Amino acid sequence: MRLSFLVILLLLSFGVFADEKLVRGLGPEPDSLDIHLAQGVSALNVLRDIREGLMTLSAAGQPINGVAESIGMQADDRLAIVHLKHDLSWSDGSPLRAADFVRGWQRAVTPATAAANAVLLDPVVNALAIRQGKQAIDSLGIRALDEYTLEIRLNRKLPWLNWLLAHPLTYPLAEKADAGINTNTSANAKVDQRNGPFNGAYTLASWTPNDRLVLLRNPHFHSRETVALERIEYIPIPNPNTELNRFRAGELHMTETIPPARFDWLKENYANELKVYPYLGTFFLGLNLRQPPLAGNTNLRRALLLAIDRDKLTALVLAAGEKPAFSLVPPGLGEYQQQYPGGAGQQQAAREKTAAALYRQAGYSKENPLHLELRINSSSTHRRMALAVSAMWKQNLGVVTRIVHEEWKVFVNNRSQAVITEVFRGGWIGDFPDPVTFLSLFISDNVQNWSGYESLRFNNLMALAEDQSNPQQRLQLLQQAEKQLLDDVPMIPLYYYVSRHLVDQRVSGYSDNTLDIHLSRYLDLEQR
Amino acid sequence: MLNYSLRRLAWAFPTLLLLITVAFFMIRVAPGGPFDSEKNLPPEIQQNLNAKYHLDEPLVQQYFRYLGQILRFDFGPSFQYRDWTVNQLIARGFPVSLSIGALAMLLSFTLGVGIGTMAALRQNNVLDHGLMGFAMLGISIPNFVIAPLLILVISVYWGWLPSGGWEWNWRNMVLPVITLAMPITAYIARLMRGSMIEVLHSDFIRTARAKGLSEFTVIRRHAMKPALLPVISFMGPALAGLITGSVVIEKIFAIPGIGSFFVQGAMNRDYTLVMGVVIFYGALIILFNFLVDLIYAWLNPRIHYK
Repeated sequence: MRLSFLVILLLLSFGVFADEKLVRGLGPEPDSLDIHLAQGVSALNVLRDIREGLMTLSAAGQPINGVAESIGMQADDRLAIVHLKHDLSWSDGSPLRAADFVRGWQRAVTPATAAANAVLLDPVVNALAIRQGKQAIDSLGIRALDEYTLEIRLNRKLPWLNWLLAHPLTYPLAEKADAGINTNTSANAKVDQRNGPFNGAYTLASWTPNDRLVLLRNPHFHSRETVALERIEYIPIPNPNTELNRFRAGELHMTETIPPARFDWLKENYANELKVYPYLGTFFLGLNLRQPPLAGNTNLRRALLLAIDRDKLTALVLAAGEKPAFSLVPPGLGEYQQQYPGGAGQQQAAREKTAAALYRQAGYSKENPLHLELRINSSSTHRRMALAVSAMWKQNLGVVTRIVHEEWKVFVNNRSQAVITEVFRGGWIGDFPDPVTFLSLFISDNVQNWSGYESLRFNNLMALAEDQSNPQQRLQLLQQAEKQLLDDVPMIPLYYYVSRHLVDQRVSGYSDNTLDIHLSRYLDLEQR
Repeated sequence: MLNYSLRRLAWAFPTLLLLITVAFFMIRVAPGGPFDSEKNLPPEIQQNLNAKYHLDEPLVQQYFRYLGQILRFDFGPSFQYRDWTVNQLIARGFPVSLSIGALAMLLSFTLGVGIGTMAALRQNNVLDHGLMGFAMLGISIPNFVIAPLLILVISVYWGWLPSGGWEWNWRNMVLPVITLAMPITAYIARLMRGSMIEVLHSDFIRTARAKGLSEFTVIRRHAMKPALLPVISFMGPALAGLITGSVVIEKIFAIPGIGSFFVQGAMNRDYTLVMGVVIFYGALIILFNFLVDLIYAWLNPRIHYK
């Protein structure tokens, strides 16, 4: 009796009974775990753990086969024939078949679903028309040829098809989880996908808002033997300082981010845990081209662009790992060559000289300075950025800048209406690692074209690139388009985003990637 | 008394209706809507969303639709947390806020009344000045300063208690309860001291002492009840505030209560969530004020409700 007690004590002290649970910070509370309604990064990250699409992502963030066994392209890349892995099942044991994808995709574009991300499916035949209520739902370009074969018809070539097929919007939907398309009676009577069934490496065991989401290993997952950890806990913590405290107290193994102001301190004290890596996003200042003083005044806009010292801005003012930027498309997109606006390829002192000359050419001077409004949504990072930029404009050109702080919803509303804006906080995180997700923002009729940029040449180059089947030539067209865009200065790139995490040294399988997606199925935790 | 109680309860309804009406139209006046975000939605999706949540109807129609829902105790779906109804969110968060708030109030009341009474009995001597000095400090240091300090020392350096998060056990409650209780304790202590000093100078206390009662009996039997009156009237609304959560405490300690819904809901223009917590809070304040009045009558024989 006493002996067995001692043995148990010994085992306990060696941590044999310690549970294999990994605790991850999640950032904000997920907006929804409905594959069609989820928009926020935190929600999408959880969905990627509990569900899987035809494609999924490797630890390095590259698309690999998920539910799909193989994908064959036909008809000039406008028709995809997808063969599914055999003998797949949902977490409740029911079979997962091609029809589940058809059901999911149809619900995604159904107007009553009101899926915010449904735009991503627009390249699929009839998706846009269905979304607008002009076509029947079953006319969508996806069809189950048999239990294990899907046919996907596209309007055009889609270089990022593999990425799209890994996006939660395109995940399958079990018959059980579907309350029927066209239920528009009440928002309450919508599909509840929280109860599953799931088809990812994990299942959602419980979810308490603002507290935690508990994920358990899915015994029906096709690659279950490769999933190391039995239990994952996601803790939503919107405040980075709270998250840091919890990491320091040993209550988290991975954080979603860090408090930017603690960057230097963390570099010194948590050098091995701090992971900083380029992220697929660019921060810029948008310029409203619809009205004076910035409309029709490229010289003035270029002067504003060149007068900002990005090295100082990123190294001294923001000082949390950001990289100086002169382009809209961030680096690291394969063979795409980075573009720069005219005048950017010189030393900063020379840029400032050019800027001053352009400013004078535009008709302004010390005596007759330009008065500008710089609109930001209140946050400490934005405030510091705005102060630094306005100081540089003041010093190098003599511009008098008024910084307008706005609450979040007021700001996004004003920015999209583009009536009272002059210079405003912009920025974009790419949906897929393809230049198009950035460049298409500035196509004339894009809803995100906050600047009101309208260039016939740019639109044409983008359209040509869309039709171009040769990947090299496509990239060249896109490069030309970006060059044109940058030379027209509808926005001022300032820096490229970086992802920032703290990862406990006991966590293995973590791999930096530009999408900043780290599926739990690849992670393991060394027991103490 | 019964008559009075019924009348008070009857008044609660128009009060709540006024609250609902003002809150409903005020949140709608705020610029921006629940679906405005970093990514602009294409117009047809915006329309579908508006239709789904009845935001395409005239405002007055929405208002009456909402009143109808409330009569069925249905606060509707949250706009921001789209998998949850407001009823579910409040049902999950309220027990957490309630336990932390109630514990904090219990602690504040016990400590505050004790400290206040002690200070009053030693009026103007060292103990009085010392205790009131501490109370002043408790009131003036904001909880967003105290909380991180406690976390840093007790959780990060010493590792005694969790730095945040929520489990149903005492370890997760200690730090938030202390932080929440500190300013309230200090406030109650000051209130108690003031009223106790006043009561101790009144005629009936002199009479009690003249009868030869011990000082302890004088305090317990005669002075305590009337001295508690201002504390009780403060506690009604304060308790309603405490058990509906504190956004600062919830944020710093990562606690899943309902306090953060007030701020998050307003920032996100989550109309239904804001309305839900405002009505809930309003109803609690009305209820507690009513209870305070009843306790008042019990404590103070001079008060009669008709």
